[in-house]
Amino acid sequence: MKKSSSKGEECIHCLAHPEIITSYFTAQWPILAIITVTGLVYNIGLLAGPYYEGQMAQCLLDISRKDAAFSDMLCLVLTYLLVILLVQGSRFVKRFYVRRFANNTARSMKEILYGNLVHHSKQELDAEGSGNLITKAVSDADDCAEGMRKFTTELFDTGVALISYTVFLLSYDWRLALLCLLFPPVSYVLAERMKTIVQRTGAAAKKSSGRLSQATLDRVSGAMTYRVYGCEEARNKDYEDRLADYEKTGVLANVFVSAMPPIYQVISMVSVLFILWFGGRNVTGTGWTAWNVAAFTAFLSSYTKLAVKSSHAAKLFNAVQKAQVSWRRILPFLKAVPDDPEIKSAAPGTLSVQDLGVTLPGGRVLFSGLSITAAPGDAIGVTGPVACGKSSLGRAFLFESPCSGTISWNGQDLCGLSPEERNGIVGYLGHDPELFDGTIEDNVLLGRKEDVMPYLKAVCLDKEVAAMEEGIHTRIGPSGNRLSGGQQKRLALARTLALHRPLYVLDDPFSALDRDTERKVFANIRALCPDSTLLYLSHRLELFPQMKQVLFMKDGTVTVSTHEALLQTSSDYAQLVALSGKGGQDNA
Amino acid sequence: MRNAAAKTKNCALASIGTTMRTHPLLTAGLVLSIAGAVITGLLPPLVLEKAVNQLAAGGMFSFSLAVSYFGLLLLAGLLEALKQVLLTVFGQKITRGLRHDLCLKLTRLSADVASMQDAGAVSSRFVSDVDTVENLFDDGVISMIADLVQVVSIFVILFTRNRGLALLLLVVLPLIFWYTRHVQRETKKAQVANRRALASVTGLIPETIRNIRTIHNTGRESWMRLRYSASVGDSYAAIERTNFYDAIYSPIILITNAAVVGIVMLLAASGSPAVQSFFGMQVGTAVAVISYISQVFSPLESIGMEIQTIQSAMAGLTRINEFMGQEEKWDTVPGTGKRALKDTASPAVLLKDVTFGYKKEQPVLQHFSLTVRQGDTVTLTGRTGTGKSTVFRLLLGLYRPQEGSVSICGQNAAEIPDGEKRPLFGYVEQIFRLVPGTVLDQITLFDDRITREMAEQAARTAELDTVIRALPKGYDTPCTDSLFSQGQWQLLSIARAIAAEPRILLLDEITANLDAGTEETVLRAIRNAASGRTVLSISHRISASLGGQQIALAPEADDFPCDS
Repeated sequence: MKKSSSKGEECIHCLAHPEIITSYFTAQWPILAIITVTGLVYNIGLLAGPYYEGQMAQCLLDISRKDAAFSDMLCLVLTYLLVILLVQGSRFVKRFYVRRFANNTARSMKEILYGNLVHHSKQELDAEGSGNLITKAVSDADDCAEGMRKFTTELFDTGVALISYTVFLLSYDWRLALLCLLFPPVSYVLAERMKTIVQRTGAAAKKSSGRLSQATLDRVSGAMTYRVYGCEEARNKDYEDRLADYEKTGVLANVFVSAMPPIYQVISMVSVLFILWFGGRNVTGTGWTAWNVAAFTAFLSSYTKLAVKSSHAAKLFNAVQKAQVSWRRILPFLKAVPDDPEIKSAAPGTLSVQDLGVTLPGGRVLFSGLSITAAPGDAIGVTGPVACGKSSLGRAFLFESPCSGTISWNGQDLCGLSPEERNGIVGYLGHDPELFDGTIEDNVLLGRKEDVMPYLKAVCLDKEVAAMEEGIHTRIGPSGNRLSGGQQKRLALARTLALHRPLYVLDDPFSALDRDTERKVFANIRALCPDSTLLYLSHRLELFPQMKQVLFMKDGTVTVSTHEALLQTSSDYAQLVALSGKGGQDNA
Repeated sequence: MRNAAAKTKNCALASIGTTMRTHPLLTAGLVLSIAGAVITGLLPPLVLEKAVNQLAAGGMFSFSLAVSYFGLLLLAGLLEALKQVLLTVFGQKITRGLRHDLCLKLTRLSADVASMQDAGAVSSRFVSDVDTVENLFDDGVISMIADLVQVVSIFVILFTRNRGLALLLLVVLPLIFWYTRHVQRETKKAQVANRRALASVTGLIPETIRNIRTIHNTGRESWMRLRYSASVGDSYAAIERTNFYDAIYSPIILITNAAVVGIVMLLAASGSPAVQSFFGMQVGTAVAVISYISQVFSPLESIGMEIQTIQSAMAGLTRINEFMGQEEKWDTVPGTGKRALKDTASPAVLLKDVTFGYKKEQPVLQHFSLTVRQGDTVTLTGRTGTGKSTVFRLLLGLYRPQEGSVSICGQNAAEIPDGEKRPLFGYVEQIFRLVPGTVLDQITLFDDRITREMAEQAARTAELDTVIRALPKGYDTPCTDSLFSQGQWQLLSIARAIAAEPRILLLDEITANLDAGTEETVLRAIRNAASGRTVLSISHRISASLGGQQIALAPEADDFPCDS
């Protein structure tokens, strides 16, 4: 096999310590630096709006009193526009980069999760549904990144903004500012109190909606059963109860979410009474500080903005909490991604199996005491009745589950080798063709660069592929569903042959082929890799006369012999041969 | 079927109309609160204008003015909250009404249509499509109307305060609107691209899990990761595009806002009397005008958003209407079932010269006749496609024959209302259909007429009573897929069929592979269930041993019309 496209390159978005949340921040420090600078400019610059609006109103007043000229206003307006341009420009940059930060984070998390997934073993994926968990984790990555985005946004838009507004207000009139700032915390505390109710009603509504969906699916998919039993009316009534429940919980959940923000805002706006009254006295010169109209309007409008901002704080808080939940869910899967293995095909060699046995997890002995030796180029047929353990024997070469005895290659116990070294020896093709949603070429070469035709020819698929509109670049759909069963099998076989392994374990590779093709393909395989040892597992025995050895498995024992000898000695085998012949007739 | 076709046009809208009529107070309250929220939202700047003008004139305004300013804010806030509450309630009522109507429609669907439905697709009509309509009320049409009213009212006020500004806005607002729509379209395009990319991202994960053996054996982990990276990369690029529009939209609006404020201020400050007649204003007015300018921009932003909601809601409504427009079944005649139950003389089943095909041009049964006297046992045999199941469907009244007649105990099978069928026939389905509920519910199918005793008796007859009693909560054990073995599900199916003590038992082919012991139990249960009943069964190895008459459908291949 050629050197895999340089290692590490694939994981440019992976991190050394994906399990530490800050590493996502440190990995993106340049982006965060831009966000910090523009975030500060924007949030402090927000004050420029109210300030200049106040100044412009004052200037208008001054002009009407002839205390100022048009040029003063022109100057003021131009500065105002420039400042707003700067502030809003910063806002754009900040918003864009905060989103890019989230996008990068989500991408890293997904690639890390996937990197881990692809290195999980078959047993790990089968056990405890961890495959499902990872699938869920990938969708959690988006929520998590979104939460981190909102956290970053909140840091500036709520934190920095509230601080700068507060400072701004204090600088105009500290006594009035302190008086005003009494009220936003009240609304904030109320929002905090409401949060539990919001969460509770929200969860209830979500549950109810789940129940409704289930009831809907049952009502629809069971429609005919309910109809022939005359139970549709009763089911409609039950559905109506679900609807009523959904309506009730839905109203409760949404009312708190949508009706409370205006109330929070009103509470914060109580301060307006003080601003108008004491602020007015400031302007008329009887208050705590001497103000002009500009100061009055600037104070009022920046306070209004502060009130609006603080009414949103609760919403952001919820988002961050949601992100924490997602983070906790994906954390177990965020591990450093292992290096991808590089498999080098081993040279042809001698296979020796000693006293091999497979025991099922329940303790049932599937078979035991199998010993064979095979020289390079030997073909060994394995057969037996349904559920005799053929496939388990094949899988023993993948070391997926523990088995007794030894399998050695050139005298070396496969158990003692690394998975890469083992996979460099054994080329395995199981029952399921395990095809990928890609082109014909992708499925044979799995991304390597090579000519695909010899393999397609070997499995007699070349003409069919040539007849397809896009030839070897034809996409075969998920699981290869655009191909027929026989085409799927042959494509998978081509992929296996392209591996150039010295030992092939082929589990029923020709089950969907007619007998002529089967023979032709087998001859092609022998020609393509004459030195490879072949373990051919099948219940179709057409090719068995060509096998050097035949293993006949029945009731937990394995007989090692040849086709001719077995025909003589085993009536079961002879029966199987007869059956297989008949089956073949039917297929033809 | 006729009238169904006539009212297809806009069933969804009709349903919404009905909901509005049945809740007149709610509807009126909603209209009033929207109007109130819009109007009170407009007033505070006018009060502020007065206050600032008094300050500019060098005097102090009265305390009551300050109170009335806050009072208006308070009122606006409360009305806004009320509007939100009413909108929520209203939206929920509408969706409930729609789902209710959809469910009724499902009951009325003709068997032909109902059996062809893909359950997932229909469920999504009930769930997602109705949800889009709900959004129409949450932040679609109603909010849009409210926003439009607000924009128009601000215009009216501005026209009296500063005519020049009103004219200026008339020029700027269409541009803003166009900009909003443009951003939306681009965003939507990017979102569609992202969804496509995401589909392949999510598709790769089950593929990886399924093919993990091959991936490891071939050592192509790196290739799989490249493929995954490529898909994630596509999604990344699409999101970047969305992000750009997301980020740029609001800053542009606010810059335009500032530009309008700046221009108005300049013009107001200009010495030219001609300009002054349009833009001249007092300082208090200037403060109010600034606040109005930002007020006119925000509903405009929302309108852009709402158009999107409305579009998807319209698509949802169309799909709902499609469902509502489907063919309905014919009317049945109440009491027919009861009359049939009283009739002990007529044949239990009588098919007279029946011709029927699911498609008219492809008859499955041709001039087919069958008589089963009460108490008889008859088995229908014949190859797949000869119409055995079709005979059952005709008997169950799911279909009507194109020619000839089908009667049950002397009554037309198609005229028996669904609700009167259960005491008449028990139908043992091919595959047991698990319903959400307890074991008892499986037998009763939530039918009030079937008492607990009846259900238990049925289970005893089906030889399942002891098995059920051994469960943790007996008959009240929640039923799950793994609760029973294949054979036991068959027994449960029999118990369900005979729970109402039906006159006729219809046995469909059992498809499950049962081992010899289980098969024996099932056979015994069927014999128990069959005793004292008229039994019509579709051939399979179990019912063959019931004895009785065997009737072969389409005995000769030549007679089989589908082949020609």
